[in-house]
Amino acid sequence: MTAIIDVSDVDRPVIVITRDFDAPCELVWKAITDPKQVAVWYGGPGFTNPVCEMDLRPGGTWHHVMQAPNGSRYTINSVFEEIVAPKRLVWRTVKDPNRNPPPPTSLNTVTLEARGQQTRWKLVTLFDSIADRDLAAKMGFGQMIGMGTDRMAAHLATLQGAEDHG
Amino acid sequence: MIQDRLSSVFFALADPTRRGVLARLATGDATVKELAEPYEMSVAAVSKHLKVLEAAGLISQGRQSQWRPRHLEAGRLQEVFAWLEDYRRFWDRSLDSLAEHLRVLQMQNAGKKRRRSKRVRRTPSVKGGNRQ
Repeated sequence: MTAIIDVSDVDRPVIVITRDFDAPCELVWKAITDPKQVAVWYGGPGFTNPVCEMDLRPGGTWHHVMQAPNGSRYTINSVFEEIVAPKRLVWRTVKDPNRNPPPPTSLNTVTLEARGQQTRWKLVTLFDSIADRDLAAKMGFGQMIGMGTDRMAAHLATLQGAEDHG
Repeated sequence: MIQDRLSSVFFALADPTRRGVLARLATGDATVKELAEPYEMSVAAVSKHLKVLEAAGLISQGRQSQWRPRHLEAGRLQEVFAWLEDYRRFWDRSLDSLAEHLRVLQMQNAGKKRRRSKRVRRTPSVKGGNRQ
């Protein structure tokens, strides 16, 4: 199952990614909060995580260095805001001035929901640069992702149509 | 000065009028007057929106005619979409690995449980023997 980006929430400027795992909440919780385990999966196949230090408490830092298959290293620093085991983890990424362009900072909320034998993992990303300026999710970023310029132009037109009717 | 180019594009896209202007320009170049037509706002007000779009690099102004038609710079929008696509891919890849990690963990746990249950089955007979 692939991650789904949900941009249907028109009230909040967010990007939502969900995934169902065949594992109980407690196990998924440990896998996302134990730095040794996070270092195993973060980034995906081919990526390694030479540094993953988590001070798991509100205000605690998450210092992370991810290495891409080509050797490039990316430092990702975050601060935990909320920890409710085994169902809710909130962290805020810290601005990285060494990257050009600097990635937008964001508030990230992962919730775990038990669904029978499965756990639904849901990430809500609120980009500061969007949040501050109230970008409506109905802009349809997710739908536009991967579109060519021509299709994008057509999509912009349909968005405008939707707004005229809304 | 806007330092963060992604931020400036996000900011520009945050307003429905500006998105409307982009949608209009996606169908072809247009003058300020043409762009202002669908809206109940002054040409001056629309011009302010155009300045924001221009600062973000989303539109440009023609210089050849006195009407200076605006032109959509689709490449800049693509840059933002490409970034978001990278973001999605990053999580897609990470979650694939997380799923595999959880699968392996559970197989290991199941193995431990089986070994434990074997020990449990043996234990009562020993205890029973002690009681006699």
